[in-house]
Amino acid sequence: MSALAAGVRKVGAYAWFTVDCVRATVTHGVPWDRVMSESYKVGIRSFPVLFTMALFVGSNLAIQGHAAFSTLGGGNLVGMFVALAGVREVCPLLAATMVAAKAGTEMAAQLAVMRTKEQIDAIEVMAIDPRSELVAPSIIAVMLTLPALTVLTIAVSLISSMLVAVYQLGVDRGEYLSFLVGYLTAYDLFAATAKSVVFGLIIATVSGYFGFFSERGARGVGQATNRAVVTMCIVIITLNFALTSILYG
Amino acid sequence: MADSPSAQRPFDAIPDGDPVISFRDVHKSFGDKHILRGISLDFPRGRTTVVIGPSGTGKSVCMKLIVGLLVPEKGDVWVGGTNVPDAPEKDLMSVRRRIGMMFQDGALFDSMSVGDNIAFPLRRHTKLREAEIHDAVDHALEQVGLPGIADRAPSALSGGMRKRVSLARAIITKPEIVMFDEPNSGLDPLTSDEIDSLISRMKEELGITFIVISHDIVGTFAVADKIAMLYNGHLVASGSPDEILHSEEPILRRFLARNMDLPALPGAKP
Ligand SMILES: Nc1ncnc2c1ncn2[C@@H]1O[C@H](COP(=O)(O)OP(=O)(O)OP(=O)(O)O)[C@@H](O)[C@H]1O
Ligand SMILES: [Mg+2]
Repeated sequence: MSALAAGVRKVGAYAWFTVDCVRATVTHGVPWDRVMSESYKVGIRSFPVLFTMALFVGSNLAIQGHAAFSTLGGGNLVGMFVALAGVREVCPLLAATMVAAKAGTEMAAQLAVMRTKEQIDAIEVMAIDPRSELVAPSIIAVMLTLPALTVLTIAVSLISSMLVAVYQLGVDRGEYLSFLVGYLTAYDLFAATAKSVVFGLIIATVSGYFGFFSERGARGVGQATNRAVVTMCIVIITLNFALTSILYG
Repeated sequence: MADSPSAQRPFDAIPDGDPVISFRDVHKSFGDKHILRGISLDFPRGRTTVVIGPSGTGKSVCMKLIVGLLVPEKGDVWVGGTNVPDAPEKDLMSVRRRIGMMFQDGALFDSMSVGDNIAFPLRRHTKLREAEIHDAVDHALEQVGLPGIADRAPSALSGGMRKRVSLARAIITKPEIVMFDEPNSGLDPLTSDEIDSLISRMKEELGITFIVISHDIVGTFAVADKIAMLYNGHLVASGSPDEILHSEEPILRRFLARNMDLPALPGAKP
């Protein structure tokens, strides 16, 4: 019971923090210089690992799709499988969890260190709202870059799955493409982007929350980072179910 | 509220020497640690007040109460006409904009260069052009005796240098009140002297009110117009340097005796 109450209070505090970030941003304005540098960090630094993941997720989708449909005599349906599973489900989730693991933990750790070293206090004493200064730019940055990263992930995985399908599994390229294009609609891209905008909001605000309110000291930093990544992953995977139900249900 | 010191008066209207900051029966605890147990203390405008006392008595906590980073359980902290603990956000912001603060460990932003650290409050609060900001940063660095290090990273500086950069950042916006948490600790005697004379000079030239926390007794007497000593959560002594020097308060005597060994007994040690 008290654990439940504590949980509810935590969620309330998180929601309040998010509202506060938005409110602070409206009253104090957006520090665009920080949005730019954060976007750069999130986008450029997450891309290499995401690229690698997308490459080999695409390849395996092709192999599994081919194996599954071959038993039904339709190995060339692999394009459809990649379009449905890869574009709709795997790629948005892959991009979100990688950005959560890389950029999200980094944001949480950085804020926690700033809290420990009194740098957040210093910002407050300068009559600057640390939420609009430190957290809001990350929110904007992640919400802008994650959709872009998701689209790139989709592109990379489609190309790699096609290469594997055509050159390793011997599927006809024209057929692969026709099934892919036949099943992949603009709505799928819209849905993937919409998901990633929501995931981006979650990543930035959850990591911001745990970092901002971390306890001081090295232990506090570790704890904040840890809790942030666990919470982000659980919330993202749960929301993914809700979003798929809404967008495709 | 009507009997509060300098209620309703903006800082500038407070006559020199009248309290610009007043603690009234301030209590502050962390958990079951009762750190401040009823502090009442005035900080006169245009003067330098030095707060001394052993480690862990709550000197840094006092500074954080002044800018509203911490909130007391009981008591008032008046800054100008504002009671900080229950001031609305807008008033708190206007108090903070008049105060520059140097944290004990510097609190420089690791992600920015030295120059960007110092320029940061200017960039956020003024519409100065980049060239003007550069000039201001160079000037501030010269004032603290560190010309030409604007491009360095804070992590590449020594502890004493970080302190001075932090000091430069605290004074860049020309605040009316400047608070230094141990500006001298970790500095060599020559640099300490420079900081002391910088404080005296800025007080004379700009009429800034200084609040300095210090362990350095020599420096304390060099800059202080008023000295206050905290001990065990209480204010055990406060007054002019002369009064403090001749105070009979035993704890204060012990504190001074230990620290003033050297100057008091010239040549006593080989
Ligand atoms: N945010 C905080 N949370 C919990 N305890 C705190 C906090 N800030 C200060 N304290 C405690 O309050 C006491 C006084 O701290 P403070 O930093 O004011 O000491 P100080 O007089 O500045 O000492 P020093 O000369 O060593 O800097 C210490 O016991 C410290 O542990
Ligand atoms: Mg201290």
